[in-house]
Amino acid sequence: MYAIETNNLTYRFPSGFGSGIFSHSKASSPEILHNLCLNVPQGSIYGFLGQNGAGKTTTLRLILGLLKKQQGTISIFGKSFHEHRLDILREIGSLIESPSLYNHLTAQENLAIYQKIYGVAEKRITEVLDLVGLPDTGKKKAAEFSLGMKQRLGLAIALLNKPSLLILDEPTNGLDPNGIIEMRELLKQLQREQGITILISSHLLAEIEKLVTHIGIINKGQLVFQGTLDELLTKREQRSRTVLETSDKQVTKHIAEQFNIPAEIEQENIVLPAIPRDILAAITRTLVEKGIAVYGISRINDDLETIFMNVVKE
Amino acid sequence: MNFLAIFQSEYLKTRRSLASWLVLVGGIFTPLIIFIARMRFPHKMTNGYQAPDFWLNVWNNSWESMAMFMFPMGIIMATGLVTQLEFKNNAWKQLHTTPQRYVSIYFMKLIIILLLLAQVFIVFNGCLYFFTILPVLFLSNVSYPSGAFDIMHYTRDNAKYFLDCLPIVTLQFLLGMHFKNFLVPLGIGFLMWILSLTTLSWEYNYTLPFSYLMMDFLRNTGRNIPQNVNIHMMALMYSTFFTVIGYVVYTFKHEKG
Repeated sequence: MYAIETNNLTYRFPSGFGSGIFSHSKASSPEILHNLCLNVPQGSIYGFLGQNGAGKTTTLRLILGLLKKQQGTISIFGKSFHEHRLDILREIGSLIESPSLYNHLTAQENLAIYQKIYGVAEKRITEVLDLVGLPDTGKKKAAEFSLGMKQRLGLAIALLNKPSLLILDEPTNGLDPNGIIEMRELLKQLQREQGITILISSHLLAEIEKLVTHIGIINKGQLVFQGTLDELLTKREQRSRTVLETSDKQVTKHIAEQFNIPAEIEQENIVLPAIPRDILAAITRTLVEKGIAVYGISRINDDLETIFMNVVKE
Repeated sequence: MNFLAIFQSEYLKTRRSLASWLVLVGGIFTPLIIFIARMRFPHKMTNGYQAPDFWLNVWNNSWESMAMFMFPMGIIMATGLVTQLEFKNNAWKQLHTTPQRYVSIYFMKLIIILLLLAQVFIVFNGCLYFFTILPVLFLSNVSYPSGAFDIMHYTRDNAKYFLDCLPIVTLQFLLGMHFKNFLVPLGIGFLMWILSLTTLSWEYNYTLPFSYLMMDFLRNTGRNIPQNVNIHMMALMYSTFFTVIGYVVYTFKHEKG
């Protein structure tokens, strides 16, 4: 079962008078999202990746009902969001873009606002403050918090109602490296111990590759990859290359092609696609038998960031 | 959803906010100024305090600045400040992802503003009485006023003035909920107030929704204001209209944070 399932979600920014009721869609306004079918498995940590402006935040805002849906469907835990908005929102914690904090209030007071709405026990405020590492802010107002502290408090608000689904939009913005590691560990712990499904967006794959179980990559409003992290790693495997450095490039290329391996000369090297080890051994053996000096054999794996960029470029 | 919980949540947001300070300052300001002015001529108080219509004079003197300036300006600013709490803190998106109906969010905010308005009335009335009595406590030549203190009359006036304020509150609330830029509702509010103030002698002034508080005060003090128009009913009709329109605009707003 999917925690989140969108079907052909399409969205254009309304043109017209501001963002109010006088706004209306025009066929000429560009599509921000095009037929987006997002499937977030229950219990997963789903990394939603895309460059700035790709449509990540728009998707998350549509899922949370902050933008009026224009086309397509959104289901959360198998229920239509449109029909069960309140029931669904009771199960969701969210942090979209910068944290929403009342700057004239303390951390406790900020949480108390939502504690009353969600109807959770007051002691939950202390629990979530401890959980995000803000146990001793006392009477300090949110306006005096650092960006990292604000981000943590935003996460505390998202966790207050013990959500089954956590939607986080670039939650590590403003956190120092240590804070990023702490947040990563916290999210992993929440998923592991409480089975919370987490949808986390980012424009940096490196930032979330150590966290997620599933990945969706969005580019220009379209989902260009969706699957498990392992599937993405397999894609990396498929894209890995073997580089040979020999004394005669032309002969090496010719020998590789005799094994039906397409070879390319790149500067001083011969570049082959990922090939089985026994074929690589046979090519090397043939080269040596023909008196070609082999100076080096190496395997190049793209890092995930390069894979991400390649997927986006495709 | 628990009504009381939503109320507490919304009310908590006003704690230490500018709007809550405005309530205090708005309620104290006029009685304090009148007290200071009175203290400059203490000898006049000996006879003045014993005048039969002493309380009525105090009441009308105090309401003059409140009805003409303080209340309209205060409501325009306080309503803007309350609605700005969400815009300024980028908090609409969090509020709209809590399990609350839009109707609860909208009307609870309006109730909070009306509560703040009621607080101004209470602070103002309390200060009015306190600062009037204060000289009696420490000036030997001033005795407690001997004139009748018709509490029912003043309560009725308070209720009517409160009703007169509603069109200002509801229109400012409508604008404040829609426009992110604080200056838009503020500018429109001040323009409406100035328009109502400058056209007080116009025979159709009662058609302007910001004019009822001023008209009511002038009528109570015997000025030449048309008597055949029920301005309280007009105020009620305008405020109902603005509330409904405001709710429709809010509900159908395309982007909710």
